[in-house]
Amino acid sequence: MLKIATTQLWVEDQEEALAFYTQKLGMEVRVDATLPELEGFRWLTVSPPGQEDVTIVLMALPGPPVMDEETREQVRTLMAKGFAGTVFLTTDDCHASYEDLKAQGVEFTEAPEERPYGIDSGFRDPSGNHLRLTELRELATT
Amino acid sequence: MAFSAPARHLQRARDLADARYFEPLGVEDMARAAGLSRAHFSREFRAAFGEPPHAYLLTRRLERAAALLRGTDRSVIDVCLSVGLRSVGSFTTTFTRTYGVSPTAYRARHPPARRLALVPGCVVRAYARPQHRTFREDSPRAQA
Repeated sequence: MLKIATTQLWVEDQEEALAFYTQKLGMEVRVDATLPELEGFRWLTVSPPGQEDVTIVLMALPGPPVMDEETREQVRTLMAKGFAGTVFLTTDDCHASYEDLKAQGVEFTEAPEERPYGIDSGFRDPSGNHLRLTELRELATT
Repeated sequence: MAFSAPARHLQRARDLADARYFEPLGVEDMARAAGLSRAHFSREFRAAFGEPPHAYLLTRRLERAAALLRGTDRSVIDVCLSVGLRSVGSFTTTFTRTYGVSPTAYRARHPPARRLALVPGCVVRAYARPQHRTFREDSPRAQA
């Protein structure tokens, strides 16, 4: 059986991303290990409290020789435009979470609005990555 | 005695401890979140949850610290500060009293954090590959 264990996001700065995902979004650090034999590569994962089996790797954008300068700039551009991937989060109460996160200084691109599937909103992380925050409606099973 | 769910305002105080434990938070802040005076709040919290609020907040911090000791390679000082505690001395004392071993010994009982870093082979190969160096780059003076 296949399961989702970890998914990856590029980030501009791991410390900045860490502060955002833990202190602002309230996620917990799962693993933070720096590997000297990989030129100080830092494996940094976070996930929401109570959801330890699904994590997001906050991956620093590497330079050469892992990623050449041109590719790095391309990824950085996509990231800043919000096209480098999206994380879809759910909440029990979209309006309340929206107010809480806004009070924490989270930059929303879309305030909560009614969608066929529930109440949906969107925000960005410091690198520009796009995150959705959705209160799913129980769909009628007819 | 009939069961009654803890009042929403007390849950709010506990939620605050769970969500903001890494900040310099105290019982005063929890009382404020519940909208009660400190003394009244402590009594009500204890009646509802079976332990005083400062104990709840402290054990939340210790639980998070233990997780950071297991999952990260951060120093004990950094772990202490990361969970909102200021004094490493009292952190070590309280941790040892709670877990029966010091933070350092607790960490040593678990596999090192790097073992939890499930770095895939593609990343290892990409990051371990050295920069290509030509003879000229190695010894520019040899050209002179």
